[in-house]
Amino acid sequence: MAIAKAERLMNLALCLLGTRRPLSKRELRDSIEAYVEAVRPGNGAAVRPGNGEAVRPGNGEAVRPGNGAAGSDDSFNRMFERDKDDLRELGLVIETVENLDGEVGYLARRDSNRLPPITLDAEEAAALGLAAKVWQQARLAGAASGALQKLRAAGLPEDVDPYEAHGALEPRIPVHEAAFEPLMLACRDRRPVVFDYRKATAARPEPRHVEPWALECWRGHWYLAGWDRDRSAERVFRLSRITGKVRTRSGRYTADVPDVVTVRETVASWAGETADRSALIRLRTGAGYPLRAKAGAVRELGDGWDELEIPYGHGLDAWLVEFGPDVVVLEPAELRADVVDRLRAVAKG
Amino acid sequence: MAGKPVRPTNAIDQTRRMLSLVTYLRERPGARVEDVARAFGITEDELVSDLDVLPMCGTSFRGGDLLDIDTDGERIWWHNPAALGAEAAEPLRLAADEATALLVAARAVSTLPGLREGDRQALLRATAKVEAAAGEQAGASSRLSVTFESEGGVFADVDRAISERRRLWIRYYSPARDEVTEREIDPIRLVSVGHTYVEAWCRRSEARRTFRLDRVAEIRILDEPSAPPEVELRDLSEGLVQPAAEDPEVVVEVGPGGRWVAEYYPHDSADELPDGGLRISLRTPDPTSLRRLALRLGRDGRIVSPPELADSARRAAREALAAYDGVEAQGASGAHRVHDGQYGRQEQEL
Repeated sequence: MAIAKAERLMNLALCLLGTRRPLSKRELRDSIEAYVEAVRPGNGAAVRPGNGEAVRPGNGEAVRPGNGAAGSDDSFNRMFERDKDDLRELGLVIETVENLDGEVGYLARRDSNRLPPITLDAEEAAALGLAAKVWQQARLAGAASGALQKLRAAGLPEDVDPYEAHGALEPRIPVHEAAFEPLMLACRDRRPVVFDYRKATAARPEPRHVEPWALECWRGHWYLAGWDRDRSAERVFRLSRITGKVRTRSGRYTADVPDVVTVRETVASWAGETADRSALIRLRTGAGYPLRAKAGAVRELGDGWDELEIPYGHGLDAWLVEFGPDVVVLEPAELRADVVDRLRAVAKG
Repeated sequence: MAGKPVRPTNAIDQTRRMLSLVTYLRERPGARVEDVARAFGITEDELVSDLDVLPMCGTSFRGGDLLDIDTDGERIWWHNPAALGAEAAEPLRLAADEATALLVAARAVSTLPGLREGDRQALLRATAKVEAAAGEQAGASSRLSVTFESEGGVFADVDRAISERRRLWIRYYSPARDEVTEREIDPIRLVSVGHTYVEAWCRRSEARRTFRLDRVAEIRILDEPSAPPEVELRDLSEGLVQPAAEDPEVVVEVGPGGRWVAEYYPHDSADELPDGGLRISLRTPDPTSLRRLALRLGRDGRIVSPPELADSARRAAREALAAYDGVEAQGASGAHRVHDGQYGRQEQEL
């Protein structure tokens, strides 16, 4: 059975962290059991479950005498490169150094990998413990626990159990959108992307070329802000409307990334939260609590109806229609017409 | 702990954890399995599986200096801590993703309006220290942000009632019935998933209920003690609304302009229609609550079944139209007459 990946990564990390001089690829290969097994002649297939790539003999580095098939070398090289990438994802700084003989060596220097001194008291530790468990997305949940574990190893106090101290409060950051992870990485690494996007009212998705800036979660939904290359303008996208895969594109950003990206304001105005006008409505007594909560002025008419002045922003017509016969729009005429229009559509339905 | 997401074993996460474990264990000979698992936020089984891997690891396979770590199930012993040089056992710097995950979450939690002030101050201090320790790795965390929504005053009262174990009186708005009702509730916990909710035992319905804080019209902390029955906490990672299989089915057909329904309502199925719309099938314990949806959709969609629900939306729209001036009211009553007679056929033609 092939040796578990975690064991292999752990050994590579310990070797690179424990050495004072750069270790060559050959030294690492000969020191770590998982690599020894991977290059053992005739054993190539055993280390590639799920790898899918065909081994093409003779296509890799020169065959070293007595070192088995070239295919083993190839598969070792691929494995080694992937492992280094994985360790770098974990935060390890691995240096590549060439020695006097021109041989490449690797090491993880203690200076560049050490956590700077950090002292947190019990209250601060408990607060971070609460924050570390809010992610409902595997990659970020794993990363947040990993951060806490590193701090724990560095002496973060344990007196207060972070999972019990705040029993009453359970904030959760939901992430249901498949596009989240690739977009998060693209924002992090500043890589242009292309994805199919279906606008709220469009039947078919269309490809959009975007330079992603930032992701924001508002009211439980994720939004992406970025530069839309097709429209040459800043745009906000809702992640749940991205269909299919997010693909990254090579090359640099063509537009400057603003210092402050304002996703929430844009979304709030779609949601009708920014009202620049007001409307006058009649509302049946006792009905429409949320309309009352937003009302600037309420006047009791005394005949089972009240008169309310409410903010008039995008989408108010659709909202008012929800209250059916309990709401009558008085003004402006434009809103009144929109509401009547909507009611007629339902009445004919 | 209840509600804690179960993560599948992942080689990256396990490696990350084991690297911190060796640093941690080196300082604590004879550490208890239970304590270490809690400190690392993992189950004892997860910890034991790490302890199975560690004896296969070391700085060099050939040198015979594998980590000699074992456990009797209760305590963990490391017989050759010198196998790992001091430099290899130092706490590791945070990775960019780790800094991002922790900092974004910490900033989000610190904006929760109802957070106790002492906790908020502690979190802000901790955030600043982590930012400093993460150095340049903290930079990417500005590219993600999360806002929790909650009503400050209501949140603080619910939070206090939970910690003091007291009953609450609330006036609560139910959008399904467009009415505000008074009830006494025994709060169990606060949950923020987009909006903030209190899960409670409702004394009016003698059942567990979830209340959205922005729908609490009024709140008072009562003197009576809160005594919710022992209930198993649900895992809310799949969302708060979990319709039951026995709930009645509602079928809605929407045009392209009504596709948002599939984003907002948990549903069993959403099939594409030739015009770019969707046929959505969902369940709800109380179909009449969807009359609002039918009214809102207007020409962007309609209820297909149950027919009583479609009827009630039509009736409500006609009644509403009657309140507008002469011409409109006439038009509405005209439509009323025609459709009453032709309802069945009309349905077929659509």
